[in-house]
Amino acid sequence: MSSRTPQYAAARLTQALAEDPRTAELGVRVQLRGDHVYLVGEVASEERRQHLTEVVRELEPELTVHNEVGVVECREPSTAEELD
Amino acid sequence: MIRIAAVGDVHLGEDARGRLRPALEHLPDHADLLLLAGDLTKHGTLAEARVVAEEFAGLPVPVVAVLGNHDHHADVPEQIAALLTDHGIHVLEGESTVLRLDGAAVGVAGVKGFGGGFAGKCGSAFGEPEMKSFVRHTEKVAARLADALHAIDVPVRVALTHYSPVTDTLRGEPLEIYPFLGSYLLAEAIDDAGAALAVHGHAHFGTEHGTTPGGVRVRNVAQPVIRCAYKVYNLHGPDERGDQSASATGGQASPHSTSRA
Ligand SMILES: [Fe+2]
Ligand SMILES: [Fe+2]
Repeated sequence: MSSRTPQYAAARLTQALAEDPRTAELGVRVQLRGDHVYLVGEVASEERRQHLTEVVRELEPELTVHNEVGVVECREPSTAEELD
Repeated sequence: MIRIAAVGDVHLGEDARGRLRPALEHLPDHADLLLLAGDLTKHGTLAEARVVAEEFAGLPVPVVAVLGNHDHHADVPEQIAALLTDHGIHVLEGESTVLRLDGAAVGVAGVKGFGGGFAGKCGSAFGEPEMKSFVRHTEKVAARLADALHAIDVPVRVALTHYSPVTDTLRGEPLEIYPFLGSYLLAEAIDDAGAALAVHGHAHFGTEHGTTPGGVRVRNVAQPVIRCAYKVYNLHGPDERGDQSASATGGQASPHSTSRA
């Protein structure tokens, strides 16, 4: 029984990004401003980044999606932390 | 000195195969041991676990891991653990392992951990059965962590969890979800046994640095937080006499596990 109340769109999208098998992202923040939706966070690949937009568009086609999610960096670290 | 590399939340899958391997090539130049703080996969499937196993197999330093909530999503955490074990990765769930690294020994105790919240702002084992089982699961895993830490018979102990023991390393996450990100019972277990370092993941929007109430250093190594392949922590023991005995070649793992299933 999924409601279409616009005020709940951000909540619906957050749940969908977590539960849709294409995304399964719990670490992406959804911010709704009028009919614009902003996605913030970091995911492991470019493909996963694009799936976020896809899932949001399917669920809320009338919203403009701003996908500001980055792909997480995995370079070698340049320093170590000394703990004593 | 013991050089510990750590990363969590790598969330590997078939679309991210080989993503970390190039950065692991020089791992032994930086560290004697690699800790994986859970959420190794995205959906917790065996296919994804195979990608993880290949990514971290055959490294010249021992690899010790705990699983995260994502690694439980397909309900096959035991099979994932077995697969990783087959590839030479030590998977801990309420157990500890002692690694002898060129003379310096370190014991790692690991559990996934769970949520529940933090002192004075947490759930209680009261009311509905769902609530009681939620809180009791946390109590159980925290008790296992304490036992596993106590079972380590060398002076340097490290606690490895997926969920956070403290709120310090959650800064950046919304306060409202703190109870789903960790539990103070994990910190209590760590402080009870004592540890040189506590490493966790799970809080992708959190902060790297924190401390338990008892003064144990806590590090959130979720990859979106550390923004690199892994972080390195050099532990200088209290009995260190300026002899840099740890060489660049890692060491032998001597399984010294205390199973508490
Ligand atoms: Fe994660
Ligand atoms: Fe997680």
